[in-house]
Formats: sequence, structure tokens, C-alpha cells
Amino acid sequence: MTVFGATGITAKYGQVTVLDQVDLPILNDNEVLGLLGPNASGKSTLMRCLSGEKSTTGHITIDGRTRADMGHDGWHHRLASMPQSPPNPSALLPTELMWSTARALDLDVSDRELADQIEGIFARLGLSEFALSPLHTLSGGKRQLVGLALALMRDPDVLLLDEPTSALDLHWRMVVLDLVRERLSDRGGVVVAALHDLDLAARYCDQIVLLHGGKIIASGGPQHVLTPANLARVYRVETRVTLDCDGRPLVQVIRPLRDGEAA
Amino acid sequence: MSVGETSLYQRFGTIQKRRVLTVTGLAIGLVAMLALDLWAGPAGLGFGDIVTGLFWPDQLDLRPRIILWDVRLPDALIALAVGAALGLAGIETQTILDNPLASPFTLGVSSAAVLGASLAIVVVPVVPLVGETAVLPVMAMVFALGSGALILMIVRWANGARETVVLFGIALVFLCNALTAGLQYLASAEAIAQIVFWTIGNLTRAGWIEVGLVSACFVCVLPFSLRHVWVMTLLRGGEAHARSMGINVGRLRMWVILRVSVLAAFAVCFVGAIGFIGLVGPHIARLLLGEDHRMLVPGSALCGALILSCASFLSKALIPGVIIPVGILTAVVGVPVFLGLLSGRRHRA
Ligand SMILES: Nc1ncnc2c1ncn2[C@@H]1O[C@H](COP(=O)(O)OP(=O)(O)OP(=O)(O)O)[C@@H](O)[C@H]1O
Ligand SMILES: [Mg+2]
Repeated sequence: MTVFGATGITAKYGQVTVLDQVDLPILNDNEVLGLLGPNASGKSTLMRCLSGEKSTTGHITIDGRTRADMGHDGWHHRLASMPQSPPNPSALLPTELMWSTARALDLDVSDRELADQIEGIFARLGLSEFALSPLHTLSGGKRQLVGLALALMRDPDVLLLDEPTSALDLHWRMVVLDLVRERLSDRGGVVVAALHDLDLAARYCDQIVLLHGGKIIASGGPQHVLTPANLARVYRVETRVTLDCDGRPLVQVIRPLRDGEAA
Repeated sequence: MSVGETSLYQRFGTIQKRRVLTVTGLAIGLVAMLALDLWAGPAGLGFGDIVTGLFWPDQLDLRPRIILWDVRLPDALIALAVGAALGLAGIETQTILDNPLASPFTLGVSSAAVLGASLAIVVVPVVPLVGETAVLPVMAMVFALGSGALILMIVRWANGARETVVLFGIALVFLCNALTAGLQYLASAEAIAQIVFWTIGNLTRAGWIEVGLVSACFVCVLPFSLRHVWVMTLLRGGEAHARSMGINVGRLRMWVILRVSVLAAFAVCFVGAIGFIGLVGPHIARLLLGEDHRMLVPGSALCGALILSCASFLSKALIPGVIIPVGILTAVVGVPVFLGLLSGRRHRA
């Protein structure tokens, strides 16, 4: 059982406030929260606050305990995050990256177990044939998958994904999100994912938070958040939203709105 | 998994074994190079004399014994110590600043050492208190460490901006060079000659104390570098990922820059600004060994030592009877090796 909560999150870069008193809904076990919002709305910043990388005035808890309660190692034992940028295209091998991460974090596994674990994760993400190819020879999408593999390696209860599918093709973006859901039903835990794809968000997220200029504009189930009015306000596009046979919203974007134009 | 298909564990193990072999090869090459370096020189000692003199010194005549123990050995060993220190400092600088052009030299450490040494050469006659031979390295060291401290302050102040650190280091290089030029403008012709000679880099000034100091510094720093090999490898995948794992990259950077500055300061203060090794040693090691810092850290130190030792050998062997300052030869030796490896890499790619 994992319950993840984040309230009153305020974050600044220098004097500029980019997140203003953001309250996320409480996430219960097995839930996926989608974080939507236009560029520069503060999604990545919020992710970094949640992971503990960026200091914030808010109150972030896993099962009611804050990072200060759990200690640095305890916190990162339960939470892992995948940053927006994929791993650097250096000559490092994906296996080396995974391996050194496990060792740098003092994961308690033997070499053979570790290798098998890495092999298993790579197999599920379609990276088996690239396991020993330098990162700079991998395509952008494959590198993004390596970044995801890195976050999955710790087998965290709280998984934070910053645009995990932005570079992936149609097949792999669904495989990745299926895998994320499957993992939840297998082992429990919660996921927070920043996404730009509204249909994916509607399909995979239990709750959605719509962020705009560092503030929450709407939050709740996909059908409540993904409305033409909300989307027009936040993304400045005219949309038609229909419900599919499962009652999930399908968003069809018609055209961008011009400055000052209302939907 | 089907039969006949090998597991990742085995395939990765094979790669690791090959790399261990390469490191071993480098170590053996280094011993061979050391032997060559000991043998070369104007006094015409044979290989037999060298072996005898090393293991049974009292069986050797006084003259060859003194040449071996007071001239050849310290020179050869300081080449190893300085080369290894610069190789180690280079790889750590490149990784922590994520910049293939970074080295202890682009941090300004060696230019500061040159400035300190020049100051010692020009001003020393005025300071009567300390012995003249000690003043030069001490001043070089003080300035090198001072530049290290400045860089550390910048690292702290820039708070994560690696480019700022690199740019500041290069600015420091220009400043130190300008001040050195200013000193030269004021100095006598004799002092200028001395400064130039120091700047080129030369191993023949070193004695056992210097060998001991540089080696001790290297030996003290190495365990810290080895303790960080996993995090440094992980950093090659990008700082964002390291940070997201909860690794305090800022603090790591402070530690690494601190030890790199000390290492580089010790390395250059006795022998002069032997350039290039801190830059190319790591690159050669990387081409041979990949990015895993478990191999790369020892490999880079070995490559650094090998290049300098080779340069030291050539400095004596190239023109019989003449010892060319080794600083002139480091690039002459290193560049062809480096280019050869690079083009080999291209053919395979
Ligand atoms: N390191 C930084 N220093 C200063 N300002 C920053 C920094 N990182 C982000 N910002 C600012 O914070 C705001 C939010 O940025 P953030 O990266 O969180 O947006 P985002 O929602 O993730 O955008 P995108 O969809 O483009 O990834 C932006 O205005 C951005 O300019
Ligand atoms: Mg972002």
C-alpha cells in the first residue's frame, strides 16, 4: 500500500515563482496521476520538487511521512524519478549506466542478479539488442527508454515520469504505459506522469491535473478535466471532445486560437 | 532464453575481462617503458648494469651507482608520478565538468604554477630568508593551490553551471599568462631564460623528495577517486539522471575539483608546466577502455604515466648526448598515438 500526497508546493528560480501553492490530489495505491499543461507551465519543476531534488516549501509525503522523516536514503528507496532529458549520448553502454547506478546507490544484489535484473528490464523495453551499444549510437527514442529503465531499476513505490513517451513511436508509447499500469496491478504503488498527449493521458490516468502558469486550473477524472473550455483556456486551442465507448474523453484538436480569441 | 544465446551477465563479463586485460597490458607496457627510460642516457650504462644496480646496488661501481640512483631513477620515477597524477586529474576533471576539453590546465592550475614560479625567479634574489631551490616549487605550489581555491569558490558560486567553471578556468589561464608576461617584461634576460625553461617542463630537476611528494599525493588521492568510480560512471549518462537519483552532484563536484587541484598542483610545481597529458591521457584511456570509471581511472593514470615516461625516454634517446626538455616531447609523443587511436576508431565505426 502506498499513499502519496503533495500540498502547498511553491517553487522559485531566484526571485521568480514558477509554482504557486500547488495541491495535488491524494494518490492512493494503484493510481496514475497525469500532469498536463503547456510548455513552461511548471510540470518538470513540480516533478523535481516531488522527487526532493528541488527544495520547496510544500508538504510531500509517502504514507504520511515526509522526506525529512524517512531520511535521504529511505526516501529514494521508495521513490524514483525519470527526468525529462534522456541520458547523454556518451560512449557509455546502457548496461554500464544501469550497473553503475545500482552500485552507486548501494543496491544489495549480487552481480549475477543485477545482470539478470537489467536484462529483464531491457527485454521488456525492447532494449535487449542495444544493451551493449554505446548510448551515442542509440536513437533518441531508445535513449529515452534507457532513462525509463533506469527509473524502473529501483522498483520504486512512487514512480515519477517526466514526459516518458515524448520521443517514442506509436507502438512503444503504448507499451511503456501498459507496462507502467501492469506494474501497478502486480506490485502496487503510484505513478505521476507529465504528459503532452491528451489521449494517452485520458486512457491511462486515473486523475489528471491541469497546470497553467504554475497554478492548478483543474483536477479530477479525465472526463472532468479534459473539457473544451479548460483546453481552450490552458492550451489555447479549439477542441471537440467526444466520449469513447468506455466513457473516456477523446480530444480532437480543431485549430489554435488567435490572441484574445475565445473558444 | 534459448540455448546457445548467452546472457547479458556473460556478454558484459567478456567486455570487462577484455578491459582488465587492456589495463594489465598498459601496466606491463609501463614497466617496460620504465626500463627503457632508466637505460637511456648519456652515461652509457648497459641493461645489465641497470638490473644489477637496482637489485644489488653494492655490486656496482660508485659512478654508475650514483648515476642510476641519484639521476636516472628519480627522473624516471617523477615521470611516472607526474604522468599518473595528471592522467588521474584529467579524467576526473573531464567527467565532473562533462567537458572533453577540460583538464587541470584549462582550470588554470598550471598557468598559476607558472606565474608563481616566475615570481619566484624574478623576486627571489630579493628574499633572503629561504633557500633558492625550495622557493621555486613552493611558490608554484602556493599559486597552483590558490587557483584551485578560486575555482572551488566559483564551483560553489556557479551552483551547477559547469560551463561557468570551464570559462572561469580559461579566464584564469589568460590572466596568469598576462601576469607572467608582465613579469617577463620587467625581468632580466637571464630570468626570462629561466622562466621559459621552467615553463617548458623538465624532469631533471627532480630528486627523491619530489618523487616522494608527488607519489604520496597521488597515493592519497587515488582511494577517493576509486571510491567515486560508480557515481562518476553514472555521471557520464548525464547530470539530470544522477540528480534525480538523489545524488548530490554539487557536493561531489566540490570534492572532485578539490582533489584534482591538489593533485595537479603537486604534479606541476616540481617539473614545470608539462601540458597536454591531463588532456590526452584520459582520451586515450577512454578510446581503449570505454567509459566505465573502474577501468578508466587506473587506465587514465597509466596512460598519463606511459606518455610521460615515453617522452622522458625520447628526450634522452633522440639526440645522443643531449637532453631535450621533456615538455617539448609530451605532445610530440602523445598526438600521434592519440590520432592513431582516433582514426582506428573511425575505421571500425
Ligand atoms: N533551471 C531553471 N532556472 C530558471 N528558470 C527555470 C529553470 N527551469 C525552469 N525554469 C522556468 O520555470 C518555468 C517552468 O519550467 P518547467 O521546465 O517546469 O516547465 P514544463 O511544464 O516542464 O515545460 P515543458 O512542457 O516545456 O517541459 C518556465 O518558465 C521556465 O522558464
Ligand atoms: Mg518539462
